[in-house]
Amino acid sequence: MRELLQAVSRWVRDSDVHDLVVMALSNVPGLPPIVQAVHIAAVCVVMGTIVFVNLRLLGLAVPSQDVSEMIGRLLPFTWWSLPFLVVSGGMFVFARPARYFFNPVFGIKVSLLIPALVLALTLHLLNRMQAGFWERSRPHLVWARLMSAVSVLLWLGVMLAGRWIAYADYLFWPAS
Amino acid sequence: MNPDPSARSLAAFWDWLGNTDLAFEIGATWWFPLLESIHVIAVALVVGSIFMVDLRLLGVAARAYPISTVTRELTPWSWAGFVIATVTGAGMFIVRPAAYAENPAFQVKLLLLVLAGLNVAVFHVRALRDVARWDTATATPVKARLAGAVSLLLWAGAILAGRWTGHLN
Repeated sequence: MRELLQAVSRWVRDSDVHDLVVMALSNVPGLPPIVQAVHIAAVCVVMGTIVFVNLRLLGLAVPSQDVSEMIGRLLPFTWWSLPFLVVSGGMFVFARPARYFFNPVFGIKVSLLIPALVLALTLHLLNRMQAGFWERSRPHLVWARLMSAVSVLLWLGVMLAGRWIAYADYLFWPAS
Repeated sequence: MNPDPSARSLAAFWDWLGNTDLAFEIGATWWFPLLESIHVIAVALVVGSIFMVDLRLLGVAARAYPISTVTRELTPWSWAGFVIATVTGAGMFIVRPAAYAENPAFQVKLLLLVLAGLNVAVFHVRALRDVARWDTATATPVKARLAGAVSLLLWAGAILAGRWTGHLN
């Protein structure tokens, strides 16, 4: 695994995209905070879409809104936020690959992100195949609530880990 | 030394605040990144819930639901997020109060937050007064659209200024 990460990190460092983003981030005035603000704004979209669908299923938020209608209306925006998140976050990964690929917190973030996306996709697809799927019966609703509780925790974990990537180097593994 | 006595006492206050045990505890330990990461989550909660209201006000989303219902059900989430963001933000501020107070990005951020607060106040006092007449409308009145658009811009600006603050310190 370490060899693979080293190979990927080296490939990223030697790529043209690396040179391009390093040049852009260090020469365009204000570009780093602008790119980070885009990333945070897209995180707000994740919070305002999939997390609120989860909170609705858990019976905690927006009781007047219809679950099935909400999923169909909001989850497309969750998917649309992903390219913005990947490009804005990817710029920093391409600029300093070693900072991310050898950072355990980045590993934690990705490990939480993947199941969170799978849960969101499951909620969306089954609701799309059959409107009202998650409220069709008691077991369906119990499953939806279980998935939602896990999903909210995963997304909160992704957001926490995201901010801790910057601190991991010197708080836990100084100068390693 | 600044000849203005009020500026002098403010500087002394920032100095005192930055030297409290709490400020040292936050600044020298994992408290700072913890507060910062909770701040980001709280910001996402504030802005995520407010964007949903703004888009309804603009008449582009959640048109199946009355504006008063959308506003009533989402506002408590915005407030909860705002309280958490304020507490965690204050915790980070006291680590280097004078540096933040003088940071132009931080000053812009506070200005945008005040304007966003005024927008909310004006919207609740003035625009919502006759909401019964346009509560279920898809084509919302100009004042509702204006409040929604202004809110979107101010909060997006506050995020940008907030992130910029860390790059100037």
